[in-house]
Amino acid sequence: MSPTTRVLLELLALCVPETGRAWAAALTDAGAAARFTADFAAATRRAGQAPLALDAPARDRLRAAGVDWPLDAWGADDLARVAMLLHAADRLPPGALVALVEDANAHGDTDERRAVLLALPLLPDAARFVALAVDACRTNVRPLFEAIACDNPFPQRHFPEASFNQLVLKAVFLDVPLAHVVGLGARRGGELRRMAADYARERRAAGRPVSADLAGLAEEGR
Amino acid sequence: MRLVDPHIHMTSRTTDDYAAMAAAGVVVVVEPAFWLGQPRTHVGTFEDYFASLLGWERFRASQFGIHHFCTLGLNPKEANEPRVADGVLGLLPRYLDKRTVVAVGEIGFDDQTPAEERAFHAQLDLARAHDLPVLVHTPHRDKKRGTERSLALVREHGFPDERVLIDHNNEETLPLVLATGCWAGHSVYPDTKMDEQRMVALVQRYGAERIVVNSAADWGVSDPLKVPKTVAAMQAAGIPADDVETIVWRNPLAFFAQSGRVDVTMLAASTAVDQGALFEGNSVLRGQTPLVRSPR
Repeated sequence: MSPTTRVLLELLALCVPETGRAWAAALTDAGAAARFTADFAAATRRAGQAPLALDAPARDRLRAAGVDWPLDAWGADDLARVAMLLHAADRLPPGALVALVEDANAHGDTDERRAVLLALPLLPDAARFVALAVDACRTNVRPLFEAIACDNPFPQRHFPEASFNQLVLKAVFLDVPLAHVVGLGARRGGELRRMAADYARERRAAGRPVSADLAGLAEEGR
Repeated sequence: MRLVDPHIHMTSRTTDDYAAMAAAGVVVVVEPAFWLGQPRTHVGTFEDYFASLLGWERFRASQFGIHHFCTLGLNPKEANEPRVADGVLGLLPRYLDKRTVVAVGEIGFDDQTPAEERAFHAQLDLARAHDLPVLVHTPHRDKKRGTERSLALVREHGFPDERVLIDHNNEETLPLVLATGCWAGHSVYPDTKMDEQRMVALVQRYGAERIVVNSAADWGVSDPLKVPKTVAAMQAAGIPADDVETIVWRNPLAFFAQSGRVDVTMLAASTAVDQGALFEGNSVLRGQTPLVRSPR
């Protein structure tokens, strides 16, 4: 078991309700692989959606395990599902892991698809999931978009420029605060500035307000 | 008054409908998987349809402060389509554990064929395996016979009556259903099925126990406000407020809560989303760092 998987499972044990404890403890037992799809589907009912409320030592342990972005939007069910995916990654050959992740996404409800997106930056050889993540940005379901766009380092690390720019512009469209787009500063380029400036002009022409985020992205006043 | 529409196909409705329903007091909808009006010939189209009922449609409803649940199943009409029937039955176990799935349905009879009967039995097995109640459609044609056959099949199968909702009842079928332990749904429609005044008369005659009312609104001529309109008709006719609340709130929630996936206390306490407030809230936060997350 990888250190990251271990930390996530230990934190999960602390935040599941009494009624979900036995379920959470069994996620790594000998029968877990056979129960994966059922457990993945049932995680919200078993683990609940309480926010993680991580204390400073917990955040330190996460950081040491490579999770150095905020998990403020994660619920206990997200933690359970991400831990399940990482545990699967620990034991499966690469091809089988891709199949499992794509299957979990294709058959998932909104919560399950969210968890797949939250897990992406923690999966081995994560770049192979770019197509899945880019496709997720096409959703109109806001919580799904936020799962990939907010407090998730995957787009910054792996998206081609055009896809990253589309993600940022969509965040502006949806009034998703750009402060949550990880690595925006580092990946900001002339093309994104131009897209933002065009959009700001379009809004003004329509008599609509331009948000501070959009104005900042267009580097107005600089 | 808070209302449940326990059978409505929101996939086929507009955001105007959601807004009007919310304004009229509807806070919970249950959307059964059904026939979409034209033939589906690939199992994969059901995967996309189920995904929509579990994700996109639930999100659309949430934008209007409405809690969306669904029932999933192979509908009676498409039980006759060999290109999809067995494939969909094989697909369902992947979906029936999900938290907004509150029953298996709509199942039952349409043309009352052997293929429909086989799918009916198979889905009672699935409901049992996944600890879910079932929503049973009754046919438009030869309705009374279809209802009798449905009740007989449930009994023969040994499926518990109290976990069965027989839907689309009329004056002929309601007494048959009430004679069992099953619940009785009524689809109040502009022209066919049931109307408000007939519904009032049925409640005056049979009372409120195990009685449920829905709009069954879909892609055809139908009215998503039929539950609130039926409430108004019942009130105007002097039906006691407690009975009205039983029919449009307590009964449907009690039935679907048998799934273990309906938090009635939470639904009773929830308040409608004020989109204006949400928008203002977001615009106030523009350019700042506080965490903004959509409800999920």
